[in-house]
Amino acid sequence: MEEPLDLIRLSIDERVYVKCRGDRELRGRLHAYDQHLNMILGEVEETVTSTEIDDETDEEIVRKQTRQVGMLFVRGDIVVLLGDI
Amino acid sequence: MIFLSFFKTLVGKEIAVELKNDVVMTGTLHSVDQYLNIKLLNVKVVNPDKYPQLVALQNCFVRGSVVRYIQIPPEHVDTELLQDAARKENAPAK
Amino acid sequence: MASSIQEWKGKAICVVTSDGRTIMGDLVGNDQVQNVILEDAQERIYSNDAPVETVELGLYVIRGDNVCMIADYDKEKLVDTAAPPLPTILQQQH
Repeated sequence: MEEPLDLIRLSIDERVYVKCRGDRELRGRLHAYDQHLNMILGEVEETVTSTEIDDETDEEIVRKQTRQVGMLFVRGDIVVLLGDI
Repeated sequence: MIFLSFFKTLVGKEIAVELKNDVVMTGTLHSVDQYLNIKLLNVKVVNPDKYPQLVALQNCFVRGSVVRYIQIPPEHVDTELLQDAARKENAPAK
Repeated sequence: MASSIQEWKGKAICVVTSDGRTIMGDLVGNDQVQNVILEDAQERIYSNDAPVETVELGLYVIRGDNVCMIADYDKEKLVDTAAPPLPTILQQQH
């Protein structure tokens, strides 16, 4: 093992955490990936975090929306980080 | 080229393509190329009330670079085969 | 190429650009990187508080980098009511 991508190979068929651009996070089983970090994840939970400013109190409201997707191809150029869970 | 081969096995199947501008289009996968540009037949935009610009579209070429996700029907995926292909594709160079 | 748009040559198509514009026209020519030449092109501008405004563009070239989708469309299904513009796809900082 020498390169970072070699490490990801060990995560095939494991559940992984993927942080993406646009405050998106994915958790799912890694089925495949390539050198661009394109990926296919199974049994995916996506969490999108958005913040709004309350007009009256000026307070930040953090909202997390999650959804489940059975099988998802993720384009590598949005991937920021990949880790084991 | 693992994903090119993979998507070729899905030709004729219904998929949902989510773009980086949040638009989601569903349609029948017609073809795919090396850049993962894809062509969908009989597309329908999810949330047509929000995107009336796109309701008239019929057959659609989507540039690979604007894709965020592609939702795939799990029943059409042989995950074991896919994992083996991924291990082979990413085998460390000696 | 698998996902060729060549088959639309001479036909009316809709090009959605990555900055959220929709430009309709007859496809005169294209190449491998989705540069397209449109004849009798017009942009359909959507806005929140007014119906669609159509701007004639004439002979028009769109650089492939800025293309999001290319599609044929059903003229009967075009929607002219007020609607929010399509979101843009932010250019990636590499």
